[in-house]
Amino acid sequence: MADETHPGSCECSPTRSTPMGTPLRKVLDRISGFATPWRSSSALRGRRIFHRDVEREEFQYAATRCLSSYYSVFVARLAIMVMLAILIGLLTILTWHFTKIYTTKSLNSLAYGLRNELLQRPILRMWNILNSTSEITTAQVKLSEYVFRRYNKPDTQAEQVELYESMRDVTWALFASRKALNAITINYRNGFVQAFHRDHRSNNTFYIYSDLVNYSISASGSSYEINSLSSQQGWKDQSIHGNISAVWYQEPLDPITGEKTGKAKPIPPDDLINIAGLSEVPDGVASWHVAVSKYTDTPLLSAALPVWDPSNESIVAVVGVTTALYSVGQLMKELVEVHSGHIYLTSQEGYLLATSTNAPLLRNSTQGPKLMRAIDSDDEVIQMGATWLQRAYGNNFSQSHEVHAENARLGHEQYYIDSFFLKLKRLPLVGVIIIPRKNIMGKVDERAFKTLVILISASLCILFIGCICILILTNGVSKEMKLRAELISHLDARRRAEASSNYKSQFLANMSHELRTPMAAVIGLLDILICDDCLTNEQYATVTQIRKCSTALLRLLNNILDLSKVESGKLVLEDAEFDLGRELEGLVDMFSVQCINHNVETVLDLSDNMPKLVRGDSARVVQIFANLISNSLKFTSSGHVIIRGWCENSSSSIDIEKFPLDHKKSQPAHKIKFKQQGSHTKKACKKENKMILRFEVDDTGCGIDPSKWESVFESFEQADPSTTRTHGGTGLGLCIVRTLVNKMGGEIKVAKKDGPGTLMQLYLLLNAPADGTEQHYRVDFSKHSLVVLLALHGRMGRLIMSQWLHKSGVFTMEASEWNELTQILREFFCIRRSARNNGFDAQHSLSEPLNTQVLSIQDMRNPVFVIVVDIGLLDLSTDIWKEQINFLDIYFGKAKFAWMLNHDTSNAIKMELRRKGHILMVNMPLYKAKMIHILEAVIKERNVELQKKSSNALRTTKESNLHEYHEIDTTHFDVASSDDSDMPEMRSSNSICGSLDGEKRRERITKPCSSGYQNINNCLVELTRVYSKENYLTERDPCQVGHNSHDVQNEEPKCCTQASLSAEPQSENADCREQHLVSSCPTAQGNLYSSKAMNEQKSLEGLRILLAEDTPVLQRVATIMLEKMGATVIAVGDGLQAVDALNCKLSAEACERDCVCEDRNTRLQTENRDFPLYDLILMDCQMPKMDGYEATKIIRKSEAGTGLHTPIVALTAHAMSSDEAKCLEVGMDAYLTKPINYKLMVSTILSLTTRTAYVKRELTNQ
Amino acid sequence: MDGVAQLQKQLVDYTASLFQEGFLDEQFNQLQQLQDESNPDFVVEVVSLFFEDSERLLNELAKALEQKTIDFRKVDAHVHQFKGSSSSIGAQRVQKVCIAFRNYCEEQNIEGCLKCLQQVKHEYSLVKSKLETLFKIEKQLIAAGGSIPT
Repeated sequence: MADETHPGSCECSPTRSTPMGTPLRKVLDRISGFATPWRSSSALRGRRIFHRDVEREEFQYAATRCLSSYYSVFVARLAIMVMLAILIGLLTILTWHFTKIYTTKSLNSLAYGLRNELLQRPILRMWNILNSTSEITTAQVKLSEYVFRRYNKPDTQAEQVELYESMRDVTWALFASRKALNAITINYRNGFVQAFHRDHRSNNTFYIYSDLVNYSISASGSSYEINSLSSQQGWKDQSIHGNISAVWYQEPLDPITGEKTGKAKPIPPDDLINIAGLSEVPDGVASWHVAVSKYTDTPLLSAALPVWDPSNESIVAVVGVTTALYSVGQLMKELVEVHSGHIYLTSQEGYLLATSTNAPLLRNSTQGPKLMRAIDSDDEVIQMGATWLQRAYGNNFSQSHEVHAENARLGHEQYYIDSFFLKLKRLPLVGVIIIPRKNIMGKVDERAFKTLVILISASLCILFIGCICILILTNGVSKEMKLRAELISHLDARRRAEASSNYKSQFLANMSHELRTPMAAVIGLLDILICDDCLTNEQYATVTQIRKCSTALLRLLNNILDLSKVESGKLVLEDAEFDLGRELEGLVDMFSVQCINHNVETVLDLSDNMPKLVRGDSARVVQIFANLISNSLKFTSSGHVIIRGWCENSSSSIDIEKFPLDHKKSQPAHKIKFKQQGSHTKKACKKENKMILRFEVDDTGCGIDPSKWESVFESFEQADPSTTRTHGGTGLGLCIVRTLVNKMGGEIKVAKKDGPGTLMQLYLLLNAPADGTEQHYRVDFSKHSLVVLLALHGRMGRLIMSQWLHKSGVFTMEASEWNELTQILREFFCIRRSARNNGFDAQHSLSEPLNTQVLSIQDMRNPVFVIVVDIGLLDLSTDIWKEQINFLDIYFGKAKFAWMLNHDTSNAIKMELRRKGHILMVNMPLYKAKMIHILEAVIKERNVELQKKSSNALRTTKESNLHEYHEIDTTHFDVASSDDSDMPEMRSSNSICGSLDGEKRRERITKPCSSGYQNINNCLVELTRVYSKENYLTERDPCQVGHNSHDVQNEEPKCCTQASLSAEPQSENADCREQHLVSSCPTAQGNLYSSKAMNEQKSLEGLRILLAEDTPVLQRVATIMLEKMGATVIAVGDGLQAVDALNCKLSAEACERDCVCEDRNTRLQTENRDFPLYDLILMDCQMPKMDGYEATKIIRKSEAGTGLHTPIVALTAHAMSSDEAKCLEVGMDAYLTKPINYKLMVSTILSLTTRTAYVKRELTNQ
Repeated sequence: MDGVAQLQKQLVDYTASLFQEGFLDEQFNQLQQLQDESNPDFVVEVVSLFFEDSERLLNELAKALEQKTIDFRKVDAHVHQFKGSSSSIGAQRVQKVCIAFRNYCEEQNIEGCLKCLQQVKHEYSLVKSKLETLFKIEKQLIAAGGSIPT
């Protein structure tokens, strides 16, 4: 067994190593393979990067890495599994080996003992039988000898008979004592035979004797004397012959007593039993042999001994004892019954003596029964065993040979075969025991087999489970590895993406800036071109179109720049005081032009608690709202756009009270949410003197899908992609808005809204003005007892206005169309008249709500009626409007009319209105500030009226004329000042605009001129103090008349104003060198600047430029260049001087008025100290003492509080964009490279001094 | 008037040669264009300014480079200024050397700087003599009663 397992395990490892050999090779391959893909991929990478094929390469790289990690995991798994298999296999084999070997050994020794024991016992029995046989034989011999001695030499027949009798008794006694004996025979010398025979089968006992008659004493006596040899011969012959001839008798006996029970009957001799004769003992010693008998089926063991005569010279008789071997067989059977198996005994020759089976031992042949050889036995097992033994060991057993075979295969079973050699004198015996192996080792073998099976199956199971476990475990590990690899690659990709996005935004910033500069030049040049007279109409239209497109492009670039500025964190918000309300009004004015075209109403609804002044970046705030409003307008085809604003700083109760009515109704929920959101910020703000301004932009457009509420604020994102086609736009607007709002510490979101449209809610965190005095719009007109009739087309605007007026203590009535207006007017005034005449009786015809109003109005003493009429109420399509105005004439004396004009209201209507004496005209839309102005004008007029009751009618109209101008210009002033930074540009653009063709660009002229007028307006106030009013009016009249004669269209009062104003300062400037500047006077128009060359030559006319340049050469060159173009140049040597020059402008002013007074603007400057001293600064970047960057920073810082912005152009020899970025970072507006390019410089300066004005104008034109 | 015509021709040729040899560039033309009745001596004025400035700068540079520890920033600033002024009058070759000079400055290469200084000095003296000759011819021309051809 042990030998078997070792080869097994030895065999095991080679067989395992063959499958292991392949994974090992694979591992090696992998390891070597790892290096190669890595190397090759890195090499590939290096090459591919030049191809900019990074993405694909990335992909491959990831794939190879993934594959390699997969392989490594696979190999690891395989190795672990193999190790596990080996371990479990070894364990199994060892367990099986130990259990099997020890049990087998011990069982083997036990079995050996058992077999020995088993075999020993029948042999012992055999031995016993032999012994007892020999003993009896000996005893019989001794007794016979004794009897013979007594009856020595019987002479007589009687004595002879007596001898025989006594012999018979003695023999019987012996025979009876031994039951196992088969027979005892005595053969006398004379041939007489005496025998006792026991038949075991029938259990009968017989006495057999021969007939005495035939035996004579003499004969017998004589025979005694024969010498031994001859006598023997003679004896033998006689006995043989005698026996044949003799007659034997058989006498049955009682087996116990030996008494005769039956009659003797004669039987043939030697028939029944074999009588041992003299021949059996030829040499006189005992002999053994195995005999067979006719009557027994077992072999018989017979022994024979001679009986010597007393003289011991001759043999007198032969005694034979026969024992049946039956009992041995019996014992064997018994033994085998208990232990199973087969036992048999053979003689040395191989004849069967006894078996444990019932198979016959004798073979019947013709000569009677004969002994059978073991090989021929009927019993199969014995036969096969004998055959096996014979085959294995041959026929000759050596004397001491014992065979112990354990695995003899007989038939289909295995047997143990053991044989013992029993050495007996003359009768050697061989005992063989055959036991089936099953009987002894059966259980053990079975168990061993079962154990093996169980072990193998268990180990297989464990192996299987182990493999699965390994698979699962390594699966987790491999997954983790994969995830980690993915994570790493993702991180890598993200880093790359971030870097690229960073590059992108930087690139965008640079690019858009690069593009902006040429764009500005393009626009500036286009403006110059537009001013040219020589253009045909088609050319003019084309150029205008180009200009529009350029402006749009510029706006887009600005947007991108803004966005990237904010994203890269470069945007720095200004912190300057500004009038938020005015800014928003300006915006609304601007957009209202678009609104009217769209049939959309723009309404500004600012709560009264809005502070008048706030600190922050006005330009950015305006940008936020401009974007929001334009966005709303873009998507609103009809309805309204409402901009609501209120301040959160005050307590909530006031907040709600002052909140516009409709808002309170529809949005309470949002407001609460809003408040919760901002509550903590609010606390923080109060400490830092900040306030939360909340705004809503509410439109009735197509709305935004709720799912897009967040994403609309992403860049290039539009709620509905299809809108791009219909509405255009880049999708940058809202993104800029959000970044700006966030930058200002606010938030913006789209809110839920009842009804169609979008509601944008935002709040901004702005600083309160430093002085802390809060100015509000809050006004109270209640003491003036005003009654306002709002005849306005737009519903929302009317509603909000009337609510506000009501709160301010003004009685309001509303009318939305002409008929309503007339009805109210008629009824109201009729009733009033009748009420005056007839008391309160005639009120029955009034409708109920009007009734109460009228009642309250009648309570007032001397009420003032103001009727605000939308020009849109008149039927402008036909000529009916004239009649309508005529109709209103009736009420002219009783009420003050204020007309709301559209921007496209035709001059004819305006003229007509003017002719009729309607002098209060304002442009749409109507918001609070305008309303306040209207009301204040009315009040003032009334006061004037009261004061000058004695004045004549002409005077009165003139007076009212003045008010008219005041009123209209106020509105324009709002626009112009809506962006403070526009101011210098506006003003400086005067000179250019002055050269524009008035007819073509009437719209354009109006604004700059009026802004200029604003300055002069102050001057006029002063003048009115100096000169008498009469004087002033008369001075103006001829101018107006003269102007009218020139141009019919210019009869419009605005242009008239311009004319008069331009004339005014000019007339005061006696020593004005540049006479052609009178161009602003219409009379001079068209004559001057007709040549383009001239235009370009003097394109910088009137500009004051500060040049900071340290290199004297360059300073001189630049100065000459600029002066050639008409600019006034003040040159300084370094940055410090430049800063000083700006700082001490006040002191400088005094002297400059004397020395540089040829500039016509000087006068304006001296009059308005808010304007910067210089229109533009050219700043060299590298200068001693203080370089350009530093100087710019200081200048910008000093400007911060004032709202001024002097354009600064960098002069640098560095032509790289990084320098440009640096320039822009410190606050410069543009940059020029050295050496100075003449044309580029001009266009840059022009674009900077006029750009903002153009953009503004462009918007208005749309 | 033969003399005048000859002088004029000489002037034109000389100016053309200056441009061809690369001493001057377009910037000088611009300077000449800027000269008119109001500034009759503009070019001479600017160029003499340039001479003054350049001599000062060259002195400074020489001084700065003689120092044991050279302040390259200072040298760079001077060269930068020199470059600006030379480019403003159109002294192209001086300007080019200045660019090389600045590169050496950035590298803090003393030998290169010294070499460049020599070159700059050389170029400067060349352009100075050329311009002086040019002005001399102009003066002669004006003295002879002719006008400067444009």
